[in-house]
Amino acid sequence: MTTTAQIPLTITEPEKRSKRRGGLSRTLVSYSFLLPWLIGFLGLTLGPTLASLYLSFTNFDLLQDPQFIGTANYQRIITNDVKFWHSMQVTFTYVILAVPLKLAFALGLAMVLNRGIAGLPLYRALFYLPSLLGASVAIAVLWRQLFAKDGLANVALGLFGIQGPSWISDPNYSLYTLVLLSVWQFGSPMIIFLAGLRQIPPDVYEAANIDGANKVQQFLKITLPLLTPVVFFNGIVQTIDAFKAFTPAFIISEGTGGPIDSTLFYTLYLYQEGFAYFRMGYASALAWILLIIIACFTAFSFLTSRYWVHYND
Amino acid sequence: MTDATTVATTQNVGGARSLLYHVILCAVSLVMLYPLLWMLASSFKPDDEIFGNASLWPDAFTLDAYVRGWSGLTVSFGTFFWNSLVISVLSVIGNVFSCSLAAYAFARLKFPLKNFWFALMLGTLMLPYHVTLIPQYVLFLNLDWVNTFLPLVVPKFLAADAFFIFLLYQFFRGIPRELDEAAIIDGAGPWRIFWSVMLPLSVPALATAAIFTFIWTWDDFFGPLIYLNDASQYTVQLGLRTFVDSTGKSDWSALFAMSVVALIPVLLFFAVFQRLLIEGIATTGLKG
Repeated sequence: MTTTAQIPLTITEPEKRSKRRGGLSRTLVSYSFLLPWLIGFLGLTLGPTLASLYLSFTNFDLLQDPQFIGTANYQRIITNDVKFWHSMQVTFTYVILAVPLKLAFALGLAMVLNRGIAGLPLYRALFYLPSLLGASVAIAVLWRQLFAKDGLANVALGLFGIQGPSWISDPNYSLYTLVLLSVWQFGSPMIIFLAGLRQIPPDVYEAANIDGANKVQQFLKITLPLLTPVVFFNGIVQTIDAFKAFTPAFIISEGTGGPIDSTLFYTLYLYQEGFAYFRMGYASALAWILLIIIACFTAFSFLTSRYWVHYND
Repeated sequence: MTDATTVATTQNVGGARSLLYHVILCAVSLVMLYPLLWMLASSFKPDDEIFGNASLWPDAFTLDAYVRGWSGLTVSFGTFFWNSLVISVLSVIGNVFSCSLAAYAFARLKFPLKNFWFALMLGTLMLPYHVTLIPQYVLFLNLDWVNTFLPLVVPKFLAADAFFIFLLYQFFRGIPRELDEAAIIDGAGPWRIFWSVMLPLSVPALATAAIFTFIWTWDDFFGPLIYLNDASQYTVQLGLRTFVDSTGKSDWSALFAMSVVALIPVLLFFAVFQRLLIEGIATTGLKG
């Protein structure tokens, strides 16, 4: 954005003077800037993180003081909690379907838009709009009505003579409507792809054209490799986001994760345990498992990235 | 962000192919926006006209749904709107204030343990909020803050959204140091430099942070769900959810009308700051 002009200035005098005046007051001034964050970090992040770790080893129910029960919560989660495994399955299905589909759409449309199409800003804005509205209750409400038995989706299918199911209340389909909602919001990764595509110098393609490379070869040998850092970034952000999805599932299933737990996202299960049944120790253990999954995923992505992400430096 | 590269590639694309792309893009736009337009149209239709009718133009145009929806619950949507507005505006002030302070300290000042704190700050970017959720809830419960706006607003004044610190940090780093140094010669201290040099030069970044804070706070459902119990405290999102559960099953058009109302502030921001929002995404990787 702003470029730093390289004008060497030597103004050591005032700096020296202030140093002589004492590092302590300087430190205090610096920390006065940091103070709000520092209070927030210690009181709202670090403290609660440690407390959460402790609570995950207790039977805390909000009413009585937490009692230390060792790894009992974790043992029960792993060995004796059908809902945990089920919500894991729902969440992973959602992540594995929604993220690649969304990224594919985002990349495809970014490439079309990058062709120097007239009206680019308009298309870009239109495609981005659903992403911006995505997290709101209104959109979840809309989605619920869209895929109701007599909703717009089935009206549209009816035009082709297809009798659609009642998507939302049929456990075979309900999760896929949520996947579709996520894919519909491909706008923000698309914009990041678009920014990435613009970094690829056009003369690379010109050279490839002269060498007789066709479009598919150009995509596989030039576009995709040069874009891997952006794919990597979008992939991580979208995956972590998908693991944390909550509002659409909550609204569409009226907080139950139904029908028959088909949309019981992990976060929804955690919410139910913590705030519907007040099993807060148990919910804390669930939160730590989520943290471990996200951390493992991130670490795995970074470790493998050296084999497929090509940085241009 | 110039269009120089795209202009260069335009020449390679023939007219027919360009037309094909326009057809694809228009089709995709239509499919994507149709649900939104359908919701908007349905909010002006009488109930019996909504279903089985995919047309966007109401046969009988009526504002009835808005009137019914606005006061359809014991508490009017006006109260929800006001609550959301108060929480969102305070969150914007808190976030911009506290995040820019921290970002300035990390970008420009020297102090002991700076790298240590900075690493921890970056670490919090990765932390899912579910981990801190329950202890925070217990904390706010013990402070007697549950069922007030404080749990939703106070964290914003304590720079709890580390993402915005990072965004502003990146921006501050791009501002030439010579400007600070000139100010130091003129006898300005860090506060003066922050206030009179950094902030005026950072208006685009501050605006990005402010707009996204507003939209995300406005749309936030989880926070209010946990901390607000009393209908008179509800935000628009909670009000809408209550509406779904109580009357939504029969009164579709009123539900759509209130959904449109809930989206209005976000749509307004989008209409006005569209370019800024999109550049914010492209350069910082903010998610929408």
